[in-house]
Amino acid sequence: MKREAQDGEKTIVADLVIPKTILDDIIAHAKELTPYECCGLLAGTNGVVSHLYRTKNIVAMEGAQNLSSFDSAKAAHLERLSPAERAEIAFVMDMQDFSSAKKDMRNNGLDLQIVYHSHPHDPARPSVTDIKIATDYEEIWPKINLPIPAYLIVSLMSPEPDVKTYWIKSGCVTPADVLIR
Amino acid sequence: MIKVRIPTPLRPVTKGQGEVETKAGSVVEMIESLNSTYPGIKDRLCDEMGELRRFVNIYVNEEDIRFLTGKDTPLKDGDEVSIVPAIAGG
Repeated sequence: MKREAQDGEKTIVADLVIPKTILDDIIAHAKELTPYECCGLLAGTNGVVSHLYRTKNIVAMEGAQNLSSFDSAKAAHLERLSPAERAEIAFVMDMQDFSSAKKDMRNNGLDLQIVYHSHPHDPARPSVTDIKIATDYEEIWPKINLPIPAYLIVSLMSPEPDVKTYWIKSGCVTPADVLIR
Repeated sequence: MIKVRIPTPLRPVTKGQGEVETKAGSVVEMIESLNSTYPGIKDRLCDEMGELRRFVNIYVNEEDIRFLTGKDTPLKDGDEVSIVPAIAGG
């Protein structure tokens, strides 16, 4: 899982490198949408993030909870809520935005590195739903020509945003070693 | 025959099958064909106008149909189609 990130000619011992400007943009995205969850993609090469793609959270769209990989309890819970309330506790990425981002990555020779989203009211650790869906998605990434990404979560539950990144594989969560520069 | 990979959230509609086969000359024909065998699957994939819903992608041989010719993308014998649900979380 560990890989070497290239910074020019230097080899950095970290899973991932995220520029401070991109980290600031992720936090800004989360703050703009709070109390709703934001989501997006980070791309780059050799573990070094260079591009951020904001994507829309369309969990409030009719039927979105049915075709996402929510378990039946979470889908039923979402159905009981108003569209606005749904977006406070879940995200569904707009796959049109995803397709555009994927095309841009390919045109620029980039790989997907990280999927990010925010937790406006909860800690920066993957929920049961996050772990289930990331695990379901493991078999999908290779079929759409993308590497299995890390997952970054921004928590806004405290005045100071908390950002943490994880690998989620086969239902197991391990912290990713991220260098911010 | 066209091989279609079905994601976990759609498997209740396909009687639990993760992969099904069908005959079709295009993606839109494939959806109609699947819907006659597995009623209800079309509604999950397409809106009232017949357009692909924003929380799903379809890939033909690892290529996104949004960058081919959408639901009119032609299919030929041996093609592999993946129905991909939205990335999501809580």
